Amino acid sequence: MLDVRDLTKTYDPAGTPAMADLTFTVGEREFVCIVGSSGCGKTTMLRCLSGLVAPTSGTVTLDGVPVDGPPKDMAFVFQDYSRSLLPWMTVAGNVGFPLPYKGLSKAQVAAATAEALAAVGLADRGDSYPWQLSGGMQQRVAIARALAYQPRILLMDEPFASVDAQTRADLEDLLLDIWRRYDITILFVTHDIDEAVYLAQRVLVLRRPAHVHEVVEIDLPAERDQLATKQLPRFGELRSHVLSSLRAPDPAVLPG
Amino acid sequence: MIRNRITDWALALVLPVLLLVAYDGWARTADDFFFPPLSEIGGTFADEWLFTRIPTDLLPSLVRMLAGFALAVLIGVALGTLLGFSRTLSTALDPVLQFLRALPPPALIPVSLLVFGAGDSAKVFLIALGAVWPVLLNTVDGVRGVDRTALDMARSYRVPAHARLTRLVLPAALPRIFAGARTALGIAIILMVVSELIGADNGVGYVVQLAQRGFDIPEMWAGTVLLGLLGFSANALFVAVERRVLHWHLAISGRATTGRASSAPRRRSRRTTPNPTEAAGARRP
Repeated sequence: MLDVRDLTKTYDPAGTPAMADLTFTVGEREFVCIVGSSGCGKTTMLRCLSGLVAPTSGTVTLDGVPVDGPPKDMAFVFQDYSRSLLPWMTVAGNVGFPLPYKGLSKAQVAAATAEALAAVGLADRGDSYPWQLSGGMQQRVAIARALAYQPRILLMDEPFASVDAQTRADLEDLLLDIWRRYDITILFVTHDIDEAVYLAQRVLVLRRPAHVHEVVEIDLPAERDQLATKQLPRFGELRSHVLSSLRAPDPAVLPG
Repeated sequence: MIRNRITDWALALVLPVLLLVAYDGWARTADDFFFPPLSEIGGTFADEWLFTRIPTDLLPSLVRMLAGFALAVLIGVALGTLLGFSRTLSTALDPVLQFLRALPPPALIPVSLLVFGAGDSAKVFLIALGAVWPVLLNTVDGVRGVDRTALDMARSYRVPAHARLTRLVLPAALPRIFAGARTALGIAIILMVVSELIGADNGVGYVVQLAQRGFDIPEMWAGTVLLGLLGFSANALFVAVERRVLHWHLAISGRATTGRASSAPRRRSRRTTPNPTEAAGARRP
């Protein structure tokens, strides 16, 4: 469904590119995680995939349509919920903010907002302001905003990086639950290997400058559980595999 | 909570009352022609300003001030938004704007009298010209400081440009616009008086000057007191409006004085008003 081909982005023509020949595909209803160390060009990649900036070369196609601006079937969940949520709007206002411009009527916006807030367990907080909620709840509002937009693909940029561990585990399970219930494809970027292996069907290891170093199939049982899944020997193997793939010397970038 | 507010009010009243009593006591014994006792000033105030001069002088003054202030806010926000968005435009207009800003508005009274005549438009022009700068400069800073993530969010959700402006950029810049408008309000009151000193035939400033020239000292003082009260109430009114409109901003930056926002723990300490220079600098590629 999402097809990325030879994507390259160079900010400084003389310097090294931020992203070089990035190629991968994401299938319909797939849950794909991208792991990479910080500074490997994840942000550049996401901004290109979401159509916020144009790549230097290469193509992104969504359902066969080239992406040359933010696509209407794509929703973006940002890492920094405190900056992506607008403090002058209520929670419901934030969730419904993009919807009128999709052509939804007032009643449709209200219905979609209520449904999305219920899906993330915040049905009764619509009239609160984002800053009255905890960090985890704020990120759930951001997820609700993405759901209400009814995208076919969800792009998530380290969405749980700034919440505490327990909240993070809850949010991971909430996301898996949403993924199963909604007809949705998820591309999830993280620097946390445990999180990537736990969530994904496939993990793409990203190396600098952003390119896919390795694709790791996650052959864990489809039903994931924070305790049981993470205790499986296979979980540990996959985890070590991804870690070594991230760290292994890359012949392409070695000097000489 | 309520008791605290009452004691606060009482505390705030102590000094003004002391000052008035001290002045009155001194004025009664000194018997100075230029410093009449309070009873005399108060009597004149009641006679003149309650309410005979309200339609003839106070209202015209207020209308000119509000028109000038409204014009300043309108032009300041509109032009400031444009300049905040376009570095090219702000670089191109900068010298002209700096020149105009450096002109002391009273120096333009002769010019504006020639161009607009002695009517209200000359005065409104002067007030607007003097008051526009804080609004303009703060709007530019506010617009430039709008969070990049918030803009990316709106763009990724295909929110059209006009809605990004009215529902994101302007609300985000509103705290700074209000800060500018508050300064502008003070300037507007000053220039309201100044504009009435030359080429005017009514207004509070005109009355005060006329009284001074005619050695009607209590009348002069009554008008002066009125101007003070006017500035004080205008500011109080402004703060009340700001508190309503910017309740979210005050709650986030921890300046909320009463309930409402403080009912929940504050989590977003990181998000305070961006330092304009820092925010502007950070956005340069």
